[in-house]
Amino acid sequence: MTLPSYKSLKKPDKSLKKPDKSLKEPGKSLKKVLYVAILSQLIISCTPSVPSQYVEADDLPNIYPDYIDVTVPQNIAPLHFHIDHDSLATDFVTRFIAGSDQWTLGGEDVRPGLKKWHQMVASALSSDGKISIEVFIKQAKAWQRMKPFTITVSKDSIDPYISYRLISPSYVTYEDLTLNQRCLEDFDESLIYGNMINSDEENGQCINCHHAQWYNPERIQFHVRQYLGGTVIAYDGKLQKINLKTDSTISAGVYPTWHPRQPWIVYSTNNTGQSFHTRDVQKIEVQDTKSNLIFYDLEANTVTPITRDTTDFDCFPFWSPDGKYVYYVSAHWEKRDTVQMDFELIKNYKEVQYNLYRIPFDEASCSFGQRELIYDAVARNRSVTLPRVSPDGRWLMFTEAQYGIFHIWHTTADLFLMDLTQAEALEPTPIQRYSPNLLPEGLLPESANNIQRDAAADSLREAQGKLTPLPAYLRNITELNTPEVESYHAWSSNGHWVIFSSRRDDGNFTRPFIAHHDGNGHFSRPFELPQDNPQYHRQFMRSYNVPEFLSGPVTIRPQDFAAVIKKDATPAQLKMK
Amino acid sequence: MKDTKTKPTSRLSSWSEGRWGWLIVNIGLLAVIGFKLATQEKELLLRAQELNLWLPTSLYWKTLMQYPGGAASWFATYLTQYFYYPWLGVSILCGLWLIICALLVWIFRLKGPWVALTALIPLALLACITQTGYWIYYQKLQGHLLVPTIGILFAVLCLVVQRFLNDYLPAKAARWSGLVWMTLVCIVGYPLFGAWALGTTGLLAILPGSHSALADLEGSSVSSSRERKGANRFHDGGTSSTKVTAPSLIRRAGGESLRILFALILVAAIPQIYYQQLFEMTERGFLYVAAMPSFRYGKDIFTEYRLPYYALILAFLIITIVGWMRSVFAADILRPWLRALIAVILLFAAIIGVRASWYRDANFQKELAMNRAIEELDWERVLTVARDASSTVKPTRQMVMYKNLALFRLGRAANEMFFYPEGAVQQNAPWKARITQIGGKLIYYHYGKENFCYRWCMEDGVEFGWKVETLKFMARTSILNHEWTVARKYLDLLKKTTFHRAWAERYERYLATPEAFDLQKLEASAKSGKPLLDEAGMKEFEPILHLMTYPDRLDGDNTLVEMYLLQTFARGNGDDPLFQEMTLLCALIMKDIDLFWPRFMKFASMHPDLHMPLHYQEAAYLYGHLENKVDISHMPFDQNVRDTYDRFMKFNEQCGPMSEAQKAIAFYPQFGNTFYYFYFLVRNQKTN
Repeated sequence: MTLPSYKSLKKPDKSLKKPDKSLKEPGKSLKKVLYVAILSQLIISCTPSVPSQYVEADDLPNIYPDYIDVTVPQNIAPLHFHIDHDSLATDFVTRFIAGSDQWTLGGEDVRPGLKKWHQMVASALSSDGKISIEVFIKQAKAWQRMKPFTITVSKDSIDPYISYRLISPSYVTYEDLTLNQRCLEDFDESLIYGNMINSDEENGQCINCHHAQWYNPERIQFHVRQYLGGTVIAYDGKLQKINLKTDSTISAGVYPTWHPRQPWIVYSTNNTGQSFHTRDVQKIEVQDTKSNLIFYDLEANTVTPITRDTTDFDCFPFWSPDGKYVYYVSAHWEKRDTVQMDFELIKNYKEVQYNLYRIPFDEASCSFGQRELIYDAVARNRSVTLPRVSPDGRWLMFTEAQYGIFHIWHTTADLFLMDLTQAEALEPTPIQRYSPNLLPEGLLPESANNIQRDAAADSLREAQGKLTPLPAYLRNITELNTPEVESYHAWSSNGHWVIFSSRRDDGNFTRPFIAHHDGNGHFSRPFELPQDNPQYHRQFMRSYNVPEFLSGPVTIRPQDFAAVIKKDATPAQLKMK
Repeated sequence: MKDTKTKPTSRLSSWSEGRWGWLIVNIGLLAVIGFKLATQEKELLLRAQELNLWLPTSLYWKTLMQYPGGAASWFATYLTQYFYYPWLGVSILCGLWLIICALLVWIFRLKGPWVALTALIPLALLACITQTGYWIYYQKLQGHLLVPTIGILFAVLCLVVQRFLNDYLPAKAARWSGLVWMTLVCIVGYPLFGAWALGTTGLLAILPGSHSALADLEGSSVSSSRERKGANRFHDGGTSSTKVTAPSLIRRAGGESLRILFALILVAAIPQIYYQQLFEMTERGFLYVAAMPSFRYGKDIFTEYRLPYYALILAFLIITIVGWMRSVFAADILRPWLRALIAVILLFAAIIGVRASWYRDANFQKELAMNRAIEELDWERVLTVARDASSTVKPTRQMVMYKNLALFRLGRAANEMFFYPEGAVQQNAPWKARITQIGGKLIYYHYGKENFCYRWCMEDGVEFGWKVETLKFMARTSILNHEWTVARKYLDLLKKTTFHRAWAERYERYLATPEAFDLQKLEASAKSGKPLLDEAGMKEFEPILHLMTYPDRLDGDNTLVEMYLLQTFARGNGDDPLFQEMTLLCALIMKDIDLFWPRFMKFASMHPDLHMPLHYQEAAYLYGHLENKVDISHMPFDQNVRDTYDRFMKFNEQCGPMSEAQKAIAFYPQFGNTFYYFYFLVRNQKTN
């Protein structure tokens, strides 16, 4: 039996406040007493209790989401979970112990609810910071206690909101796309903007690339593509739609990064194409055929190109918290064949690899300096994306995979961490490209897939000393990574939490995971975004895209966004330097 | 006070005055409708439930309720499931329609022939289903086939409540409660039933016998309690009469006008209020047609498909007018024979309308039948349908592809491929239906193009909503791709459905033997006499695993399924016997001589003991004569291959001046089943 939810507990029982007329009548009052007695007995008999006799099991319980030995912020929503079991299991009891207090819940869905969870967290914080959890499973009339596990409650709190886009892991088609926000302290999810409010059968609308300035929900931007397209920018109550495309830029703004304080945004501009793997389970490949960076001044409404080299594909800018650098990634590609550029890139997709750069920015003159190579990933036969600097400016987290830029479909995509206090600008070296298919015959069976072939090729190169070793100030965050995709990530405003996208659940649907950062480059075991229904993500057919922290909710209503989007976009003016 | 003693008697007598007889006519009509639906549209109904999904989860409910009218879809998708057993689904449907008819008779106090008018509603609802055709693949409204039935049922139940209020409350209370009820229906009904609730609000406003509280506000004495009693008597029996005077009529009309005006304000305002407060995902223009199917494809709107919906409105108007006439004039002012004549004429008109709008297309029916046969791996049945000559219309490319797939699976493609009618008839839809959205997923699945099958499932799921069919394909392609966890996700969803649990459990068992989906291991196990898969699994998966023996590459099909398959297979090169034969077959169909020869030679060397299949011989014999690149003199062609070729060429000489189209007709009886005919006279087989 599951206990009533927090919301039902929170609601005052109005019927008890009102005088009950039936009590005035002796016969009816007797009945009432009887009903109450029966009900109480039923409640008592249904309240789960820890079995007095049980067998100790050696295994941890199989729970979903996997919250075993994770660390959570003190203000996180309750960690509801489901006990996966075989068909022979008939009953379940779960005991939570924090300090000297304990709570017992029954059922395969373990849902303590907000009120009990807060009690558990308070008890844990007042003792050793741990909530110990014991799961008892009844099978063949005998109880067994699974190996207990703990949830550590950190005193470091987390930003109360996250924003994300919900999208099917789709290919070309899109129907309803939503930008959502979720309160991390409970289960409330609400809409920031959904495209269907401005779409019909004929006119579809894509929305993407939401981003807030320094966690501020009043300073956000996102793009609307196709129908009624433009970049929507909300800045301290002013809502506008801008057309960032100019005659001298590749496209309108794509991947954004706000300056931490000023009304400036650096965007990449991209020409993007998509193709499909015929056999590989990494089913989609998205490639840029051109990409540069632009600078947008919101107050002046001007766009200024930052990079313009057609042989460099510059992407994923990120402004450092001190505003002195823009980090970004870049791939160098010079056209070789006579075929069209997009076909050439499709043919050689594994050879398109991105290095990590930064470009200094002078706030006083509002100008950029010369780019610096920070990490030569190509020399390691790797490709990096999504540089994100921690709020204290010390750590830079990025995603690294074998090749390309669309790492959400690359199972080799892992999170890496760079200590910027030790990182130095590198001398640019000639780019060495690795042919992806240089494998001795017979090394792998014919049935080996792309992932196995790439891994084997790299092992071989490593053994032959052909791969540049990983610099000392850089490491694979193994505590966060899995063999599946780990990609988009963001730091919390206090730098103690990171949220990142992972496909570890099923390899196809992206889910947000959160991990604690100790400030010294180490992370706790991550936990999946809690849901009221613990099996929600198993049923949910959409992916979470670009999860980012917010210091509070976006209060502009979707209808207000819709009204602005319906209007013509204000064209940005080109300003050349 | 109501006369409680006399009322039951008068009601009984009213029911006996010709209602039952006409209601039986309706029942008979519904029985015929049910029979025709369950027999003639069996394939459509079976397909409908495959292209439907109902899940008993809060997430499913929440997803539908993001838009106004979500509950209508929820109930409709729930009922659509029952077409899994067409007779059961049809029985439930006809039962609901009968309930609608009976309630309408009671609500509008219909008598005699007017009772038959209630059948206009199920006839219009029937047309909503039978006109569907290829919309079955393209409708975005979940449960679209039965949403109209649910919407009408909701409307009728709301009218029942209103009638109860009118009948059993004192007049003044009835007036006010009627207004409150109408307001409530609009406010509460709109998020649940969308436009159907708006229509219901309108119906409540014009329901005969509804008395305007607003009129009372004006101080009008339209309906004093005494008059009210009279109205009730009239409604109940129709036997007693109320004196109708011009001033009372005017006053009454004034009151009703205010009521209608109030309803119009509700209908206009409530969706807008919800737009501002609740439905953050709904486009303003959609507010007033929420939960109605959209017959729009791209820029084109096909208004003719709205006719059954207009017919529904018309039917309600007719029934309401009849009710009004009986209300205002106290009895039927028309003679009985005239009433019967009008009712019969209207019914016939409706039946003719249903017949006219009934989508009948032999190819559509055949595609549905072939699709089901393939799903059941009954390849012979696919060929039986392909051979069916009851229609003279040439087949669609999808049918040809289904037929070729069946022949390939039976190992007879190279001997019989040209024995069946060829064609490239467009699907009979007013827009360009694409194979990717109809049968492309099934074709990709069986030809080992699992990623493309998965892709189009995902594309369709995103655009048209998740369906049982797409989840089944996604589960199976994930199994074949060794993506066990996500396969389980789809199977778990299917296990929650009412009728596909057993299917999901069957495939769930395959997750326990992942090694079975490694072709080498599977073949080894089969050779050892202990196959890793059960018989059904072997039959389904083994040939697909053979066809999956090609290397990965980045690609795209541009929605052209057949062209993509032909191009990729014909240019493929593999050592797997089944895959290799597929490359040869596709080179043959593409009439590409350069691709044909190396694949022909390889096929011959891979099957030294096999008698060379007929069509390969024909192609080799023809190409050998057309080009002298390959020496065919030593090849042991069958005598009939040589003879047919000679006869073909001779006949060609005889038909010298004929155009190609004329030759195609002239040659067909003798040579229609040869590769020679296909090579020279079958052209422009465009796929979509």
